[in-house]
Amino acid sequence: MYTAEMLELIKVVEQTREKRMSETFPRINVEEKNKLLRGFHPDYMDGAMRPVQLGPNKGDALPHEHVDILESRSWVDPADVDLEKIDFDVDVLVIGGGGAGTSAAIMAAEGGADVLMATKLRHGDANTMMAEGGIQAADKENDSPPIHYLDVMGGGGFLNIPELVSALVSDAPICIEWLENFGAMFSKFPDGTMNTIHGGGTSRRRMHFAHDYTGAEIMRTLRDEARNRGVKVLEFAPAVELLKDDQGQVAGAILYNMETEKYYIVRAKAVIMATGGSGRLHINESPTTNHYGATADGIIMSYRAGAKLAFLNATQFHPTGVAFPEQVVGQLVTEKVRGLGAQLVNIEGEQFFYPLETRDAVSSAIIRECRERGKGLTVPSGSGVWLDSPMIDIIHGKGTVQEELPAMFRMFDNFGIKMDETPIIIYPTLHYQNGGVLINDKAETEIEGLYIAGECAGGVHGRNRLMGNSLLDILVFGRRAGMNAAEKIKNVKVGKLNLEHAAEYNQELDKLGLNERVSPILIPDYRYKISG
Amino acid sequence: MPEEKMVNIYIMNKQYEVPAGVTIMKAMEFAGYQFVRGCGCRGGFCGACGTVYRKPGDFRLRSGLACQLQAEEGMYLAQIPFYPANRSTYDLQELTPELSTILTHYPEVTRCLGCNQCTKICPQGLDVMDYIAAAQRGDVEKAAHMSFDCIMCGLCVSRCPAEIVHYNVGILCRRLYGRHIIPKAEHLAKRVEEIKSGKFDGELNDLMGKSQEELTKIYDDRDMEQ
Amino acid sequence: MAIPYFPGCTLKTKATGLDDSTRATLAALGLEVAELPEWTCCGTVYPLAQDNYMGKVAAARILINASKEDDGRLVTVCSFCYNVLKRVNHAIKNDEETRTKLTQFLEEEYAGETKLVHPLELLRDDVGFDTLQKKVNNKLKGIKVASYYGCMLSRPAAEMQFDEESENPTVMEDLVSAMGAEAVDFKYKTTCCGSYQVMKTYDLVVKKVREILEGAKAKGAQVIITSCPLCQFNLDWIQEKIAEEDSSFDKIPVLYFTQLLGVALDVPVEKLGLEKNYVDPKPLLQG
Repeated sequence: MYTAEMLELIKVVEQTREKRMSETFPRINVEEKNKLLRGFHPDYMDGAMRPVQLGPNKGDALPHEHVDILESRSWVDPADVDLEKIDFDVDVLVIGGGGAGTSAAIMAAEGGADVLMATKLRHGDANTMMAEGGIQAADKENDSPPIHYLDVMGGGGFLNIPELVSALVSDAPICIEWLENFGAMFSKFPDGTMNTIHGGGTSRRRMHFAHDYTGAEIMRTLRDEARNRGVKVLEFAPAVELLKDDQGQVAGAILYNMETEKYYIVRAKAVIMATGGSGRLHINESPTTNHYGATADGIIMSYRAGAKLAFLNATQFHPTGVAFPEQVVGQLVTEKVRGLGAQLVNIEGEQFFYPLETRDAVSSAIIRECRERGKGLTVPSGSGVWLDSPMIDIIHGKGTVQEELPAMFRMFDNFGIKMDETPIIIYPTLHYQNGGVLINDKAETEIEGLYIAGECAGGVHGRNRLMGNSLLDILVFGRRAGMNAAEKIKNVKVGKLNLEHAAEYNQELDKLGLNERVSPILIPDYRYKISG
Repeated sequence: MPEEKMVNIYIMNKQYEVPAGVTIMKAMEFAGYQFVRGCGCRGGFCGACGTVYRKPGDFRLRSGLACQLQAEEGMYLAQIPFYPANRSTYDLQELTPELSTILTHYPEVTRCLGCNQCTKICPQGLDVMDYIAAAQRGDVEKAAHMSFDCIMCGLCVSRCPAEIVHYNVGILCRRLYGRHIIPKAEHLAKRVEEIKSGKFDGELNDLMGKSQEELTKIYDDRDMEQ
Repeated sequence: MAIPYFPGCTLKTKATGLDDSTRATLAALGLEVAELPEWTCCGTVYPLAQDNYMGKVAAARILINASKEDDGRLVTVCSFCYNVLKRVNHAIKNDEETRTKLTQFLEEEYAGETKLVHPLELLRDDVGFDTLQKKVNNKLKGIKVASYYGCMLSRPAAEMQFDEESENPTVMEDLVSAMGAEAVDFKYKTTCCGSYQVMKTYDLVVKKVREILEGAKAKGAQVIITSCPLCQFNLDWIQEKIAEEDSSFDKIPVLYFTQLLGVALDVPVEKLGLEKNYVDPKPLLQG
């Protein structure tokens, strides 16, 4: 429920609405954007990063929270582990039960592999489930994969790895068709034509959606399909360390049953790492939109195994996290709200930025509005600006908010705020790990036998991912990882298992005097405090 | 948090003092819990944190998601992180969107007594009984739309005297609808064909070979669909 | 103003012909019905135990929801639904224990105010057979029609209070006459067709059905009409089975009364759902 003071300020927004609705705020060009980012994006803030002291990216500056994880000992003491007793012997081990892992598992199984999926929480507990707004694919007449390619490169600061972007945009329609065949309920017109809208940084309307449950719809559909196909899943059994064989190829993992505290040894001919992102590390002390399990587990396990990281110093702040009410601060307000026409408005009722610029730019502009120009609102958690959501019903007709954004409406309504009648208060929130473990277009790492898919991987999005490309990414590279792993294992013979890489890593930490922390952390610790 | 005001809640009958108005999830953490089960997306989408509670002097059983529900004085609560459920296995491609399909896979829907406890407990506020009723008469489309916002938390299942697993009926109906009732997108099939035939390979290769400066220029000049 | 209408599950699946022809014929006579916005299965079978309140909840809710519409009535045509809804309403009206249990559970105030009506009653009381007679064509002239009531419409008499004499109803025969056809009386018109026993003791049902069919044919009937989806199915489908074993068996079409009425009212035949009938009625009706 808004305070009396906020209700007064809403009147200012309402007074300027009619005039604003006829305005289009000018877009910015690449040069202006670069200047804005350097001035206000959290990635460029002094003191946000430090160089990591060991491993393949030694010397690279990364966010402290990531470095803390990377400069941590292995969860297991390699000397204590009996690798002779194999609990699961499979072709392909998929670590992570979100959208990427499930796509990978389905495709690996379809390719004839015996697959085991191990996941930290429940199957489907992942950021995929929470992606609300949509998924990009250039499947309309006026659009094409090359046009999509250009948007992706521009969004990522032209630093994205071209072969990965090419794979992303080329596979996009194939993935949508794959989901259509699985019966995913995309929003369509009666003749079957996909309903598509704009996202930040898109030059064509190519955002496919399912109300504002797009990720949930994709996740539950994939999970249902995996269950129909009998994919074996171990829940509440995260991997805590990778295993290699005497050839140096990745050959399995140690799983940890969080409920019984028992360890399982899995031997596999290939491992697909799909553990997702890292929002729960609270980079920059920010609240996050992320899932409880987003703790960068796959990053550290892959890193210890020798895989190189890319763009992990680029963190995505979603421009519109909830800034009020306090109970749900940091939770996501989907970009679809802006896609449907809501403008960003400051305390004086002025529109201050083009609402559908790329996320890094919009977030920076909001931070600038509050920090430099002093035109933000004061809320218990700090500052925020208005997102003028009632514009949606005015533009598209009464009831559109409730029809198209039922989850958003339900969340605010729960706290006595009707977002179709009053604007909402937002502020950038930690949303996405733009980088990760470097892969090629087959989802392979430089380490034999190790595949990475989804948010855990890096390179495809450069320094900033566009809206609707993460749901796409998990499908494209999840599928590629699954298919390629299934093909690869036909010629793989696993040798004797060992944990030498982890032992060596521990020894190096000892030398550096960094032997206190242990990772992966698996779950965040919010005990005795109020946290994100 | 303006947490000056504290309230007492009872987590599985144990009293804890927590800040008023915080979500149950945060209240439980404040009380000292570190979740393994019963916590997922923390944003109302995943159905991991279904919670039931009562308030003093009120016979009614209430429900909510721990990540969305606010702590109030005197709440007696328990999470229901898992509830056993029957699930049928099927090949979606082979199915037809009609009553016989639903009855083959979930014959128990005909056991519905109309008690409406599923609807009352639904933390999403869905008309669960009514979508089961639609499924029971073969109205797949209606069941698909009515169940769309289901997060599969399973609270409905915990309350059903007919032992129906509502959310599995719901997803069967949605997948039947998405695959077999609403027409396929023709533009999508066409584009997939074009991609497979290599229609865009040349143009993509060309773009992949361009320098950052060249791309920047093309990007700034690109036309935008309104 | 539209009268609230409860189709029932069977009319949405196996018996769409009854649903289609009911809506079409009532519309042709200027009676508008509006399907309840949300409804569940009625329960199908009225619980035999008096204190089985749970089995009555669904029907009670349907009646209560109908009572919130302005009309005050609820139309339903399936004999099973009609039976369950009418008996639950009767129990709510006349048995305090039942009323209290159901209304407390549903948290509603209700004492049986909804008036449940069958389309046969609508035709008799709202349209009037005299009026109907003036509206029909002469397509059915000379056709001999046996009216089959089965059990559900009129039993138990004390609760159903259907027609003047529950054990010898005549409303369908009166309708047949008003349609311009010739009503034939036969003693099996309220005999049970075997009902759900068709699933379990098939032979018994064949025996019962054959008795009914032969009884009607012996009186010269050329077509049998009913309002019950299960009776219709048993009487119709089993003829196919009989004919497979007995080549001398003469088939007789079994229609919903609304389908025959549709013919008499010139309702386009595609709106009558005749295609689901096993014994093809078209030769007779076009005859």
